[in-house]
Amino acid sequence: MTAEVLAIADKIVAKPTPVTQIRRGTVFGAIGLLLVAFFFAFPIVWSALSSLKSTEDIVKFRYPLTWWTFLPPFPTLENYHALFFQLNFQRALLNTVIASAGQVIIAVVTSTLAGYAFARLRFPLRNVLFGLLLVTAFIPLEVILVPLYEVVKGMGLVSTYPALFLPFACSPFGIYLMRQAFQSIPVELDDAARVDGASTLKIFWRIALPNVKPALATLVLIQFIWSWNAYLWPLVIIQDPSMQIAQVAIAGYKSVPNFPLDGPLFAGVTVVTIPLVAIAIILQRYYVRGLMSSGIR
Amino acid sequence: MKFSSWTVNPTRRGELAIGPLMILPAALGLCIFQFWPLGVAILNSFRAFNPFNHRPNGWVGFGNYQAVLADPSFQSSFWVSLIYMALMMVVIIPSALGLAILLDKRMPGTALARGAILGALASSEAVAALIWNAIYQPNSGLLDVIFQTFGLPSQPFLTDGHLAVVCIVIMTAWKDIGLPMLIFLGALQAIPPHLFEAASMDGANRWNKFWRITLPLLRPSLVLGLFMTTIAAARLFTPIQILTAGGPNGQTSNIAYFSYAQAFLFNSPGPAAASVVMMLLMLVVITVIQARALRSRSGI
Repeated sequence: MTAEVLAIADKIVAKPTPVTQIRRGTVFGAIGLLLVAFFFAFPIVWSALSSLKSTEDIVKFRYPLTWWTFLPPFPTLENYHALFFQLNFQRALLNTVIASAGQVIIAVVTSTLAGYAFARLRFPLRNVLFGLLLVTAFIPLEVILVPLYEVVKGMGLVSTYPALFLPFACSPFGIYLMRQAFQSIPVELDDAARVDGASTLKIFWRIALPNVKPALATLVLIQFIWSWNAYLWPLVIIQDPSMQIAQVAIAGYKSVPNFPLDGPLFAGVTVVTIPLVAIAIILQRYYVRGLMSSGIR
Repeated sequence: MKFSSWTVNPTRRGELAIGPLMILPAALGLCIFQFWPLGVAILNSFRAFNPFNHRPNGWVGFGNYQAVLADPSFQSSFWVSLIYMALMMVVIIPSALGLAILLDKRMPGTALARGAILGALASSEAVAALIWNAIYQPNSGLLDVIFQTFGLPSQPFLTDGHLAVVCIVIMTAWKDIGLPMLIFLGALQAIPPHLFEAASMDGANRWNKFWRITLPLLRPSLVLGLFMTTIAAARLFTPIQILTAGGPNGQTSNIAYFSYAQAFLFNSPGPAAASVVMMLLMLVVITVIQARALRSRSGI
């Protein structure tokens, strides 16, 4: 099943074969694809371009509709200056980076350990436990929000970094993904090492882990994107503004009374989005694999 | 699992201890941060709370449920939840299928369109909502400017309840369409080409091939995409919070937003818990129907 999914995922991102003959259908298709690309890229590109306009220019050149509604007539970096010298956005960005790093690291450690045990080791209730842990993939955050808040509060972690990354660091998706990856390694490799006297942990570290690097890359990428994009949980658990993450901080620029922050808002959106979108597109081989495995359980 | 198998091989006896130890960190984390809060959420829905310190204060049976079900704003958020689900199905599934068919053909521009769709999918819901908020702004937003330029009347995109629901659905479709599209695309690429060749030899036209070969073989993926979309729609929160905060008059508030508002804006944990349990029940019903629909695929 999983090898099939991976093959299909790889096929999706494979380079297209060169067009040998141009037919009418190809031309219409290409125009359609360009329109699709425009529709999906436009909001992000537009906000990146708007981030180079001063807030006054954003308002001034909006109507009537001209090229300057979209392009910056007087490109300026003043929004980025305001973001980093007045709004202390670098702190919010640092908080996001720390939260994401913490979540990715813990997810990789816990998922590989559990994934290997579920794939390769034999112990009582193994499959029952695996099924139980997978059930958590279906528990929506919205349902457990209040009790989860109480749990984290009871640990004395409100407005701390662990509060941001601990609750979602153990990932049923990660366990599932790593289990599938370990299962696809030939058992003969383990057996050969065991005959040579290697311990279970040594086999895990020296033989199994080096063979699942693509799955690890997928896990890191998907977990990174999930934690980078968190919104509801930080909104609730972080009450000290200096500990708030970038996404919530930017959303706060929307509603400052009598003080339009349109420019810095677009700049903040650009700072958190462009690198992430670039990573997802460059590593789309792993991104698509992860999405396909998360969809086809 | 055969019980005898662990006692037979003495070299693998260590696994009995190491296996559970390797699972322990993940299991502990999921118990503390998922199962325990889920249990508490269900218990809380039957509890009374002290109105001043919001601590649990005895049991009320189904009191919270009665209170919530009698609350007109909950009733409205229930219907709004169903409307989001229906609209997202109608908007996302056909367009995701259309996009998948377009991207399946491998023409010039395929990589560009795929990159743009994946980019939107990777961007965060919060960022997407903030950008579309600027697009939807009344009188000054980009969409309104475009409407005015073409002489169309100004539209209350986010200030009219019905229109705001549609705006939230379009924004969510822009961001999330990539996932069902990838699932459909994967299914399309798994169809063996010889089926189409055989059909062509039998004189089938393109339309026949789509109805007789593509759609039936896509059925399991369509069902999967349909239910992933429905569940995502039932959980819709961030776009509502950023674009409309549930307004105007709660007309865009679904159960997820209702329970958030009860818990964190109005400090009423009892009704909040009762409403999330009802949301959970809704999701369980959807999942069970999904499992049935997927199982019956052997019938085709």
